Formats: sequence, C-alpha cells, structure tokens
Amino acid sequence: MTAFVQHVLDALSVGSTYALLALGLTLVFSVMNLINFAYGLLLVWGGYGACVLVDAGVPFALVVPLCILFVTVLSMAMGRVAFRPFIGAPPITLLITSFGVLLIVQYIAILVFGEKPRVLDVPGFLTGVVTTGGLRIPVLQLVTIASGALVVAAFYALLNRTAFGAQLRAAAELPQTARLMGIRPDRVLMIAFAVSGAIAGVVGLLWFAKVGAVTPRSDLEPTLKAFIAIVLGGLGRISGAMLGGLALGAIEVAMNIVLPAGAITYAQAIVFAVVITLLVLRPGGLSGARTEAT
Amino acid sequence: MLRLALRADRLPGPAGRLGATAGAVLAAGAVTLLGALLFLAPTMREIVLLFGINAVMVVGFQLFVGNTGIVSFGHVAFMAVGAYAGGIAAIPVLDKELVLPDLPGPLASVEVGFVPALLIGGAAAALVALVTGPALMRLSGAAASIATLGLLIIVTNVLAQATPLTRGPQSLFGVPENTTFTGVYATLVATVAVSALFKWSGAGLRARAVRDQPMAAESAGVSVLRSRLWAFALSAFVTGVAGALYAQLLTAFSPASFYIAQLVLVIAMAIVGGIGGISGALLGAAVITVLNELLRRVESGMSVAGTEIHAPTGISSAVLGVALIVMLRWRPHGLLGSAELQFEGSAPARAEPEAPRTVPEDSPEAVGRTAGAARADDG
Repeated sequence: MTAFVQHVLDALSVGSTYALLALGLTLVFSVMNLINFAYGLLLVWGGYGACVLVDAGVPFALVVPLCILFVTVLSMAMGRVAFRPFIGAPPITLLITSFGVLLIVQYIAILVFGEKPRVLDVPGFLTGVVTTGGLRIPVLQLVTIASGALVVAAFYALLNRTAFGAQLRAAAELPQTARLMGIRPDRVLMIAFAVSGAIAGVVGLLWFAKVGAVTPRSDLEPTLKAFIAIVLGGLGRISGAMLGGLALGAIEVAMNIVLPAGAITYAQAIVFAVVITLLVLRPGGLSGARTEAT
Repeated sequence: MLRLALRADRLPGPAGRLGATAGAVLAAGAVTLLGALLFLAPTMREIVLLFGINAVMVVGFQLFVGNTGIVSFGHVAFMAVGAYAGGIAAIPVLDKELVLPDLPGPLASVEVGFVPALLIGGAAAALVALVTGPALMRLSGAAASIATLGLLIIVTNVLAQATPLTRGPQSLFGVPENTTFTGVYATLVATVAVSALFKWSGAGLRARAVRDQPMAAESAGVSVLRSRLWAFALSAFVTGVAGALYAQLLTAFSPASFYIAQLVLVIAMAIVGGIGGISGALLGAAVITVLNELLRRVESGMSVAGTEIHAPTGISSAVLGVALIVMLRWRPHGLLGSAELQFEGSAPARAEPEAPRTVPEDSPEAVGRTAGAARADDG
C-alpha cells in the first residue's frame, strides 16, 4: 500500500511538471497555432537566471519571483520579435520557424554561459525528505505537486474570471468574431506569451531544482515531454494538455515499475511507442480534440 | 524541338511524364558534372562527396514531404537505420569479431560489398517505415510531425542501447571506406529518377491529392493511409541508402551522428530549396552544404584576406536557424517552390498555353501556405 502511494506521488509530481509544460505550450497554440520548439529554452534561460541570482547572493525567496518575471519578459520578447510576423501562417510553418528560433536562442545561451553544465544551488529545505507513515516523500516532490495545483488554479481563474481570459478564449475560439468585437489580436497574443512564459518560469525552477544543473542543451527533454503530452492529450485543448501531461507522467512511472531490468534502458523508446499506439487508437488524443490544426 | 522549362505541373500524356522525369535526371546530371569538376581539386573532395550524400538524403526526404505535405522529423531515423544496417553488413568478417564480438551468429558471418550494403541499408529503413507507417500515417499536420519526432527518439534510444548490434552509444567503427565519387553520384542520379517517376506516377498523384484535398480524394476512392504509406516507405528506402552511403564515407559513427544536428540540416535544405520539388531539393542541398561547410571552417578558424576569423562553436546551427526564419518569412516556398526542371516538346497547341491540369500542382504547398496572405490580412 505504501509503495502504491509512493508511486502515485511520483506519477503526480512528474505528471504535474509535464502538465504545466503542456499548458504553457497549448495556450500559445490555441491563439496562433504555434507549437513552439523553443519552449524548453525558456526553461533553460530561467534556470540560468536562477543560477546567476543565487550565485550573486540574492535570497531564494526573491530569486523565484525574479526568475518568473525574467522568463515572462523573455517569452513576450520571443513572441513579439520572432513569432508575431508569422500570425496566420500554417502550423507547420510556425513549427519550423520555432525550430529556427530555438537554434538562435540556444546559440546565444552557448555564447553567454558556455557549454559546461552550471550547478543550481537550491536552499537545503528543498532537497530534504519528509518521512511519514512509512512514506519517504522528497520535499521537492510536494512543492512540485503544490505548485502544479496552484498554477492550474490561477490559470483557470485568469481564463474564466478576468477580462483578459475572456479575450483569450474569444480569440482562440472565433478569431474573426473576436476581432470584430474590438479584441486586438496582437494584445491577446502578447498576453498568451506572457502567461505561457510565467508558467515556463515556474517549471524551469522546478525542473532544474530537480536536475541540479543547467546546460544550453537541457531544453530538449522538457520540450519533447511537452510535445508528447499535448499530442497525447489532444492538440489545442487546455484540459487535454493537462490530461496528456498527467497521463505521460503516469505512463513513465508505470514503465519504471513494470519493465524488467533488461528492458529498462529502452524505457524512453517504449514510452514513445505506447504514446504512438494510443494515438492510433484515438487520433484526436485522450480528450478527443481535432487531429489537424486548422 | 525540345526545350527546357521550369514548371510546377507536367504536360499530359506519356511524353509529358517522360519529359518531366528526363528533366529531373538532367538536373541530377548537371549537378554530377559540376561535382566532377570540383572533385578534381583535392581540397574539395570531401565536400563534393558530402554534398552528393546530402542530396540523396534530401531528395528522399522530399519524396515524402513534398508529395504528402507532412513534415517528417523522423527521416533522420531512417538515415540512422540505413547507416547501421549497411555499415554492419559491410564490416569485414574478421573485423567484426573485434568491433562487434557479441553479434548474433548469422550476422557475424555476413560481409557484403558497396552496392549490397546500400540496398540493405535502404531495405532496413523501408522496413522500419512499413512497420511504423500504418500507425504514423493516420495522423495529419503538426500531430504527425511530432509523432515522427517520436520515431526518431525511439530509434536513437534503441540504437544507443542495443549494444551487441551497434556498440551502443559508443562509435561503431571499422566500416570500410567504400564510398566513391562514382558510387555517390550514380546513386544520386538513380534516386532522382526514382523520385521523379514516383512524383509523376499515379501513386504520387494520389498522395498529392490527399495532401491538397483530403476529403475530395477520399470520396474519390483514394486511401489516405495507403497513399501516404507508399511515399513513406519509398522515401525511407532512399534516406536509408543515403545513410549507408554516409556510413561508408565516415567509417565511424554513433547514434548521436544522426540526431538533432542532422535533423536541422535536412529541414534547412528542404525549406531553403523549396519543399515541393526535386529540383528544389538539389538546390537546397547545394546551398546549405556549402554554407554549413564554410561556417564550420569559420568555427575552426580561417583567415580571409589576412584577417583571422574565429567564431565560437555552434555558429553554424545559429546561421541555419536564421536561414530558416528568413526563408519562411520572405520566401515560404523556398528558392524554387514546387517548380521542376522539365523537357517540353514543341507541344501540340492544346498543351500550351493552357495545358489541361492533370495535377493540382499549382496549389500552394502545405508549408508557407498563407504566410503572405496572412500578412496582408493582418495589416
């Protein structure tokens, strides 16, 4: 029983990271059909931002908001400079454009920070372990799950309770009508990039607190996980993104338990194969969204 | 009276098909001739061979992407499979004991020459495509692209872990250096011919019909899945052959040789040249190979007119990134779009100037379809 609870907690913490990643990606996708290859780099820059601030002696309680702010601004800049000119282009053009953006922004990271991994020192309490009733729960895991729940709640409040949120939803659902109603697509896009950036800031901190070090090429793994999560959940749906992220987390943790020792090295391949199989059974993803972005 | 033309559709009838295929082969021949001239200079040899292999690879990539409109991120995986299958088959039996001591019996006693190694590489890649295709080809658009990226991850993971077969993440070495100028460019001409034949065949037409009007094509009895699967398998074969060529040029490589960096190259070549056509693929391969080679020399330091230029490592991929964005922003159809070099006869009056459109080829390509229109709309 304790083992089971432990696994569920593992799956929840991994899954909520993926769900947040997928949420940030989907938000921009729903407004401009962009699947952003460079999304993982926002995490990397956030990680580097945290490293620099921590090394400069800034207290961690300040590092967190500063980092999130930094990534938010970066995301907006990326959206404004690189992606705004492409509004209305087909998803594949946008996908490849973001690939180009990735190469450039990654190069800047290499220029500034070099290829060597940079260690992120997190405060001691984050690396601790809580022991209760036979369970050994890393504090970071609890923080991850809590942040996930908090961000999702804040996100839904923003989406459903504010004027920004109403504009976002309108622009995502009926862009033409939204425009006729006086909603400025540029502004909506910038809001989407800002929110998506803030989420990336949170995930970046969680991700690199867990991994421990940042390199300019650390973006690949989170980007891939987010991609798989959004496709698994169903492209373009907020609920699908979260479902996909949690499902991917569950599949990964389940693979680690179920697979025999000899097959564990193939875990990544098997997870992707499982996801592709699921997609064949449900081409619209778990939430049954459209398969072809229009 | 024959003349050459650049056009996106072909003239009707067998003569039109012959002219379109011959035009593509002529383009490959011209590229070969140019390569042969450059090959005379010893410093150019490596880049000429590399270009030929890249051209085979991009023509293979284009065979799928151009005809189906699905941008595959998985073709590098076919290249990897081709390189490993062809490479392992080509390693001499005696060396195999040293390089791959745990190779299963029947494989350990195999040793093949250059051409069979290419065919084995191609066949292995086509097999992977045929096994995964029925699943992958059900998806469309961006979901399909991401799923093919999944294929690349799967193949890289398996190659890096199947140590008895591949030496795992370490380099596989000992592949004989069989790749010659004749080998590469004969393969290129054959590849281009196959690609053009497919493009102008019924199967190619069906694939493009599904690309442009999936609903209409399906109601006309064209199977979306089957039409894509043909293109997928054939293009995987060609890309696998490119991998086997590459393996016998490099002689040592690892799964990392066929990953994101290689993916960037393939995509850049296809986008710059024009994703819709064979002629564009050849041009794109030429432009990007030269650009990439120049940048690599700049990275390792070179002197131009007495000044030492030394750029930090990684600049080549950043420049490729810029090239991608610039092309997609201002020339989304690439340098050549879907235009192909073709022979035209002194045609009967009905074929010109209003040739009956047998192929809906003038419709914009999937990539960059509305970037221009959207901009106008945006203002």
